[in-house]
Amino acid sequence: MSDLQVVGKSYPQIDAMEKAMGKTTFVSDLVLPNMLYGRILRSPFPHAKILNINTAKARALPGVKAVVTYNDTPGIPFGPRTEDWTIFAKDKVRFFGDEVAAVAAIDEDTAEKALDLIQVEYEELPFVTDPVEALKPGAPLVHEDRPNNIAAEFRIEAGDVDEALSKSDFVYEDRYQSNQVYQAYLEPMGGIADVDISGRVTLWAGTQIPNMSRMTYAKALGLAPDDIRIIVPDYGGGFGGKFETNVHLIAIVLAQKTGRPVRVFNTRYDDFIAGNPRVPMYIDIKIGATEEGLLTGKEVKVIGAAGARVVYAQAIVSTACYRVDSLYRFKNVRATGYTVYTNTVPTGCFRGFGNAQMTFVLESALDTIAEALSIDPAELRKKNAIGPNETSVHGWEIKSCALRECISKATEAASWAEKRKKRKKFKGIGIACCNHVSGNRPFAREFDGGSGIVRIGRDGRVLVFHGESDMGQGQKTAFAQIVAERLGVPLEMVHVAQVDTDISPFGCGSFASRGTVMGGHGVLAAAEDAFRQLAEIVAAKLEANPDDVVCRDGKFFIKGSPDTAIPFKDVADQAATLRHGAPIVGVGFYDPPTVLPDPETKYGNISPVYPFACHIAEVEVDPDTGVVEVTNYVAAHDSGKVVNPMAIEGQIDGGVLQGMGWALMENMVVKDGRLVNPDFLDYLVPTAMDAPRVNKILVEPIDPNGPYGAKGIGEPALNPVTAAISNAIYDATGIRMKELPITPEKILARLKEGRKE
Amino acid sequence: MKTVITITVNGERHSLEVKPNSTLVDVLRDQLGLRGTKKGCGEGKCGSCTVLLDGLSVSSCILLAVQADGREVVTIEGFGECGRPHPLQKAFVERGAVQCGYCTPGMIVTAKALLENNPSPDEKVVRKAIAGNLCRCTGYTKIVDAILSLADRGSELVKGEKEDGS
Amino acid sequence: MRIRPFEYLAPESLEEALTELRNFGSDTVLLAGGTDLILAMKHKSVLPTRVMGLQKVRELNFIRQKNSTVHIGALATHSWLCAHDVILKKLPMLGEAVSMIGSWQIRNIATLGGNLCNASPAADSAPPLLALDSRVVLADSDGEQEAPLSSFFLGPGQTALTPSQILKEVIIEIPSNPYSGCYLKMTRKRGIDLAVVGVAFHAEIDPSTQTLAKVAIALGGVAPTPMRATEAEKILAGLSSEEALRALADAAQAAVAATTPIDDIRATAEYRKAIVEVYVRQAGAKVINSLVKAGGNRN
Repeated sequence: MSDLQVVGKSYPQIDAMEKAMGKTTFVSDLVLPNMLYGRILRSPFPHAKILNINTAKARALPGVKAVVTYNDTPGIPFGPRTEDWTIFAKDKVRFFGDEVAAVAAIDEDTAEKALDLIQVEYEELPFVTDPVEALKPGAPLVHEDRPNNIAAEFRIEAGDVDEALSKSDFVYEDRYQSNQVYQAYLEPMGGIADVDISGRVTLWAGTQIPNMSRMTYAKALGLAPDDIRIIVPDYGGGFGGKFETNVHLIAIVLAQKTGRPVRVFNTRYDDFIAGNPRVPMYIDIKIGATEEGLLTGKEVKVIGAAGARVVYAQAIVSTACYRVDSLYRFKNVRATGYTVYTNTVPTGCFRGFGNAQMTFVLESALDTIAEALSIDPAELRKKNAIGPNETSVHGWEIKSCALRECISKATEAASWAEKRKKRKKFKGIGIACCNHVSGNRPFAREFDGGSGIVRIGRDGRVLVFHGESDMGQGQKTAFAQIVAERLGVPLEMVHVAQVDTDISPFGCGSFASRGTVMGGHGVLAAAEDAFRQLAEIVAAKLEANPDDVVCRDGKFFIKGSPDTAIPFKDVADQAATLRHGAPIVGVGFYDPPTVLPDPETKYGNISPVYPFACHIAEVEVDPDTGVVEVTNYVAAHDSGKVVNPMAIEGQIDGGVLQGMGWALMENMVVKDGRLVNPDFLDYLVPTAMDAPRVNKILVEPIDPNGPYGAKGIGEPALNPVTAAISNAIYDATGIRMKELPITPEKILARLKEGRKE
Repeated sequence: MKTVITITVNGERHSLEVKPNSTLVDVLRDQLGLRGTKKGCGEGKCGSCTVLLDGLSVSSCILLAVQADGREVVTIEGFGECGRPHPLQKAFVERGAVQCGYCTPGMIVTAKALLENNPSPDEKVVRKAIAGNLCRCTGYTKIVDAILSLADRGSELVKGEKEDGS
Repeated sequence: MRIRPFEYLAPESLEEALTELRNFGSDTVLLAGGTDLILAMKHKSVLPTRVMGLQKVRELNFIRQKNSTVHIGALATHSWLCAHDVILKKLPMLGEAVSMIGSWQIRNIATLGGNLCNASPAADSAPPLLALDSRVVLADSDGEQEAPLSSFFLGPGQTALTPSQILKEVIIEIPSNPYSGCYLKMTRKRGIDLAVVGVAFHAEIDPSTQTLAKVAIALGGVAPTPMRATEAEKILAGLSSEEALRALADAAQAAVAATTPIDDIRATAEYRKAIVEVYVRQAGAKVINSLVKAGGNRN
């Protein structure tokens, strides 16, 4: 693979200059002629009956064009996973922020004023915000038809856990708590909807899953998916938060009602109280090991809060239950997961899915085991690490795996052994590993692969269509590199089209760290198809076999005779002429070699490739204030062949800081059923002053299933961070923190407890 | 209830009728169509809406347009021209400091104010200067390096690190 | 998060502003930089019918030294303060404190007057100014009146200003004795945060006796208003530097005893007290040691 021309080289994102010059039209920058501004009236109570809604005064306000409630919608229950959504609350509100009504007006001032004029009579109901409380008999029911507030249960078992634990030399058992955190993408969620005279909807939205959300929205609106066209302009970040949202549906309902384009965006406050933040979890773990440090068996119980409706929580809880089982050579595992309704904001995807939550717990537990057995924590992980060409306990077929190498390189870079020997008070070093997927077979509905279209312009410019989503991670650039590589043209020749469901191929979307692998394979197959068509023209001209045609630096030639070359653009021009204007269009798809897990045993192979990582954090703890400083950070990643080193570095830097924010400061605090810190003052997002420099190490095994050997990076960049930092804090202070975030207050309180003892 | 203000935006003088309750960012975006300045929080806490007011970086979402009366505003659109980007824009692009790009205009505006105020900031100074600009994608490292690459002293620092760090 | 309509006035002189306030003061809200007020209007916690923007009133925009006093106009921005020669040389503790307020974007607009009039218990400018026994000048159409800053704060968001008054300036006496000061601020993250606790420690040394002629400790974020810890000061005043360093732990305890913090989203009362204790010790040690060092150098 050493002769790669474009893949494997650092490039700025192909649209970076547009963005740097302020020329990119982000979705919230769009203005359509005659556009109205929508705003959503949200519930002020965590749980209440709606007795009456009077919209007369709001309607009468000059400039107001529509006021809509549940009664203005088809009233069809829907939802991406569980059909417990309605576009507006029907007869009760279930969380502080629930959608009650919406207005469309000629400007934002009028829209906001109109909200104040909508009179809603509520009867407050008892509410429950904690999932453990919600499971108790007699707890208020969030949905009356869901006894005990259980939205979903998940069980998985392999081997004989009880026997394995009973024969263990050491068993560790504890309860951990993972808090609720907010994605905090810089551009809030929203969209603009328009409806044509036939009733067909166009929605401009920043969404990670344009094609899947179209299916969900169609159901909600009583339309066919093809009745909705979704266009995805550039948008400001996602991190898992931008999946389906009622905000989009409300924009559509308002557009249907008014016949005009309607723009609805969350204010930052609305985004805080009604976005889809991370699933908070209680996690019980019981894990055993032999004297030598071999893990014997593990049992976990996960209780996750869905919030008031299921977005993706049950898939997230099940991921928490078993994804880590394929990180080490586990043989005996059992997990139970409860997804529980609560009167809190519906929870959704956030970088790491449920794996990030469980990685915090498992990797904390491993350090406790290592200490009890007097084994070096890095050694313990190496001993148990899964390796290449192994099949995990749940049937995952690991092809490439450089986990051990990641551990070796990270420990070396951090001078781990040396620092562990020379312990200094209040200075600590901690390690944590993670695995992840690139695609998730049971998550995608019908298939989990990818597809692409590559269109060759008459001037040789290449336009790539895909159905995934670039939320800023650089997906477009990775696709352009892959296509440029396959066609043999310089990167500048390749452009990537905006996702438009009318034009782009179907793609499941950008989640599960799947974009580069699934979408990348899709556009690679399309490039392959386009290349074959071009090669035939070249072969005819040079009187050669099409199989012998190659292209490099934008010049076609026959293998072995690079001196007789034809420029790519000449071939493109000729093709268009020969074909009377019909462009060369390559279409391709990728059918990954995954195996849908058995519904009973969950045995299967959910992803074509599996990325791994090892992180090491060093901290200094101020014993007087409890303040933690991350003084050094090493992140070693196996993401297969790296398509764009500069981009992957950016992913790692960003993932580590997001993880650090979660570990040390970020927390959504709910009191009396209401979020009390719905702003960037009290919800603490790390700044440049808080950010450590990360030493990034890329180990690059070529995965046979990845496009050019690549695997995903988005989520593995964050998964191990909380545990690495927590383990470092333990090393510095002897305090094992089991609840995130690890704030200075919590540390100081524990240090004082220790002093008293 | 409108009032007339005179502001110079990116070198161009405008006489604008504005509502007293309009913020500068709304006037720039909605009345002047300068949508390069972003709205991230509306509360002066994220820096996406940073513009220069008489050469000083300010959050235009918590500044009334009437406060800019008689003053000079520079937005990201005033930085470079088509095909000839400002060195900061080039540095941000070349060093991978742009991911989703939503924080980028505000970040570049702040960086410009910094370098004009202090042509040779060290890393600590850079980090403090941009602390009011949140970025959720990059972890800030490549942004800090892009700015340092243009600083008299910083450029050596960045080069040095690359050489022994890689 | 829209701002409700209001009538906007932009007087160009202090006299014009004060006349307006004499007539319509109770309906008028003053806007200096506006970084707090505009946010409050967006949150609808303040819904003024009339807003008077002061930025064109030049008489309020100055920083100057007259003999041994420093006069700071209410409209001086934090950025200006923390870069100003007089502040850097004579009142570095104040410069340090205001350099920690908000973001750079905020400091470029937000003013000293605004910070004081907003009367947040955690206002960063208040502890250093209280420790320096600053006075405020309040002006109305009848004239000016000087008062100690300590009498200015009445409670969270409440000041002694009447509706017809404007805070015109802050006056700080430069101590004649050798002095040193330090402001320590506890925040929940390094960049941009309100003070969970702010501690200003100011001390002067009597060159003849080499004892502490004055010790002033002011605290933010631990009471309804920024406050002085007078009992703690008494413990240290008159001591030699060595004695004072030894007595710092007691002084820190006394400072904690004087506080009445609350539990809120930012911190518990208990944590705030713990930080006061630590910061009074740390700031005190830093200040006293620097006085010793400066004295040693001079000799």
